[in-house]
Amino acid sequence: MAFVFNFPDVGEGIHEGTVVEWLVAEGDIVAEDQPLLKVETDKAIVELPSPKAGTVLKMHFAAGDLIHVGDALIVIGEAGESVADSGEAQTAQVEESESVMAPPAPDAGRPVAPGMGEKHRRPLATPKTRVLARTLGVDLSGVIGTGSGGRITDDDVERASRGEVASAPSPELPVSVDGIANVTVTADGPVERVALTHLRKVIAGAMQSSKQISAHVTHVEEADASALMVAYRDLKPQIEAEHGVKFSVLPFFIKALVQCLKDFPIFNASVDEDAGELILKKYYNIGIAVDTPQGLIVPVIKDADTKDMIQLARELSDLAVRARERRLALDEMRGGSCTITNIGPLGGVFATPIINQPELAILGLHKIEQRPVVRDGQIVIREMMYLSISFDHRWIDGAQGARFMTAFSRLISNPNLLFARL
Amino acid sequence: MVVGSVSRGCQVVVIGGGPGGYVAAIRLAQLGKDVIVVEKRGRMGGVCLNEGCIPSKALIHATDVAYEAGHAQEMGVTVEGVSVDLAKMVQWKDGIVDRLTGGVSFLFEKNGVEVVAGEARFIDDRRLAVSTDDGVVELEFEQAVIATGSSPMALPGFDVDGETVIGPREALSLQEIPERLLVIGAGYIGLELGTVFRKLGSQVSVVEFLPEIFPTMDSEVGKLLKRSLKKLGIKVHLSHQAQSLEAGSPTVVLAAHRDKDQTLRLEADKVLISIGRVPNASGLGLEAIGVGLDDKGFVAVNEKMQTNIPGIYAIGDVVGGALLAHKASQEAKVAAEVICGQNAAFDSLVPAVVYTDPEIATVGMSETEAREAGHEVVTGKFTFKASGRAMSLGATDGFIKAIANAETGLLLGLVAVGRGVSELIGEATVALEMGAFLEDIALTIHPHPTMSEAVQEAVEAALGKAVHQVNN
Repeated sequence: MAFVFNFPDVGEGIHEGTVVEWLVAEGDIVAEDQPLLKVETDKAIVELPSPKAGTVLKMHFAAGDLIHVGDALIVIGEAGESVADSGEAQTAQVEESESVMAPPAPDAGRPVAPGMGEKHRRPLATPKTRVLARTLGVDLSGVIGTGSGGRITDDDVERASRGEVASAPSPELPVSVDGIANVTVTADGPVERVALTHLRKVIAGAMQSSKQISAHVTHVEEADASALMVAYRDLKPQIEAEHGVKFSVLPFFIKALVQCLKDFPIFNASVDEDAGELILKKYYNIGIAVDTPQGLIVPVIKDADTKDMIQLARELSDLAVRARERRLALDEMRGGSCTITNIGPLGGVFATPIINQPELAILGLHKIEQRPVVRDGQIVIREMMYLSISFDHRWIDGAQGARFMTAFSRLISNPNLLFARL
Repeated sequence: MVVGSVSRGCQVVVIGGGPGGYVAAIRLAQLGKDVIVVEKRGRMGGVCLNEGCIPSKALIHATDVAYEAGHAQEMGVTVEGVSVDLAKMVQWKDGIVDRLTGGVSFLFEKNGVEVVAGEARFIDDRRLAVSTDDGVVELEFEQAVIATGSSPMALPGFDVDGETVIGPREALSLQEIPERLLVIGAGYIGLELGTVFRKLGSQVSVVEFLPEIFPTMDSEVGKLLKRSLKKLGIKVHLSHQAQSLEAGSPTVVLAAHRDKDQTLRLEADKVLISIGRVPNASGLGLEAIGVGLDDKGFVAVNEKMQTNIPGIYAIGDVVGGALLAHKASQEAKVAAEVICGQNAAFDSLVPAVVYTDPEIATVGMSETEAREAGHEVVTGKFTFKASGRAMSLGATDGFIKAIANAETGLLLGLVAVGRGVSELIGEATVALEMGAFLEDIALTIHPHPTMSEAVQEAVEAALGKAVHQVNN
């Protein structure tokens, strides 16, 4: 009996995704747990493994297609078995396809060019749809078709005109697909409409809901990082030569944060309001905000308390690279207990970060620079930095925030105190 | 204002009543515009109806009837004494032309389109002077559609006198079959008419400057056509340039080889000049209003058929591209709808048909064009030699070739050569416009026994699963 594999609920409230690539073709024999396809969800591109061993009898959806949880993705059975023989396969999803007995589509495993959007290619849309696009002012070259084989449907055009549909992933916002600017002239002047990516919409939702959920307050402290930088400059060439890993100053801050979280457990917590309970986490999973061309992604370094700075450095560079390539697994972005956002390299005095729900605090690291400061009645040049922490004032008082940051600043300003506790 | 002229107003004036102009006028009228068509020819339909598509197809078919009757011995049909009365054939053809041009006039009447017979010239961007039999009429308009078409290109030293040296128009109205016909230019018009007269018994030779027939089409088309022309007994001299003409009995044309030092001396009773067409863009006063032309002298327009002058539109042959009636008609509808505030634009594929024997029909990209456009290309071909229907018609020359993107299977183009393939290309055009994949066509039943089965077979061949031929 053929088995129909539906798009599973991969958790985290994800209910839809886009097929990125099929890794198997019809007729292929697949092993259990063999990756079948890549799906782009809210947060990542995930590979879905086969729950069964068998022969791929039929695949639904092509690259670029939008899929929802529960959609039949693939039918696996025995070679020669007809899909129609399968009771399970007699589902609405299967009937939707042109023919259950259809021979395999040519090169079904390869991606269909989204909307055939290249300049020299006609958009894959019928004349009627093209008229609709003109009427609504939609540039078809930027629309991903959800129809058979990537055809652009009337619905796709209407969604695009409302700015709802994901356009082909653009390398960097706000440049539109293939660099063809979808510029229209309004009464106020020319505007370019760029469809929002799935990721951008997810970020928007998360930011807004965090602001609504938490009573954000930001406390700013400064630290004298001179001694820390001396240690860092001493260690960096040695560690990089010996371990072949790019060593930044960030591992020091992760370690310092972990120490402070141990001393102030409420900053490593979340709240179960329904149960009326504070959840104090006994693990130290530190989220690191990564700036990618597509937008903010927060991979998590698990059990940062058990890892030395070299391990942390290695993990940081690996996560950052894969975050930018959208190759992180969903698991690698879950389960954080506190988050660091390192804005220093990008400039600014300090910022007011937004808490990564359901955590209670987020630490902002700002640029380290030489500043004149007074020490023992003398003006001296020190390597100074600002540190900011946004916390949820519902559960954490301002005094706790001040104490936390004083302690944190002390560890940074006197790194020997930090080293003593490692 | 010109002294003694009558001044009149309308919303839209359409210059030219051919398949571009008359369609624009009717569509404009349907959309509620007050339309005047200016036509100098005296009757509607332009070159297409009067001296192009329709009359040539009438003669081609009538000729085929006679030719087939005389060439059916293999099928067991022997017809003695088939005779052709060319004058009567031409008269029959003229009757068809009359019916069609009359039909356009009837549609004008029913749609309230007015016609002013005469030659138009822009005075400025809102006024047109029309020289009619009754003097100059001045028309004021809000928008104008230039649909003046194209004319046969002249060949220096070969002035068309209508007697010995003729153009396509004269060729369609010959009263006697010439003993020797020399065609200069192996374009579709020259080859169609050359084929007609060869089938009627003329000795036909063709001089072509280029080294290939239809060099822009799929290379297999030119090769097959060359063989077919040879089989028919038409001599084709490629890479030759007609240089001079000595009128007389017979008339002698000297044609020099492009590369070699070799000159042909060709005797003929009639010399048909068909070396291409030029836009009818001069004499309209376009310079006066500043309408821009492209480097080949065609009126430059955007996809909304707008020229650089607001309110002035142009469609059909005069804007260049494929000089084909159906392209003009589609552009006409676009222009009319844009004028009426609709969001139309020309983004259609233009199929092309050549009524040689066998016929040629193409749409979309050729294999070469597809590669140049960056596609990984897969093709599938089915030859009519394996088609039951083609055999039963005694017409096994030709093939269908499907061109598709190898990765996605998206159909990109179709080339057809064979009996009646002009009727098959509409299917391929719909498929392309709808964004069909090879699978879509392969899974569509094509009735048996028909020539159209070859489309399905060619597509299946591209998928590597043709049934009636061995797959590669």
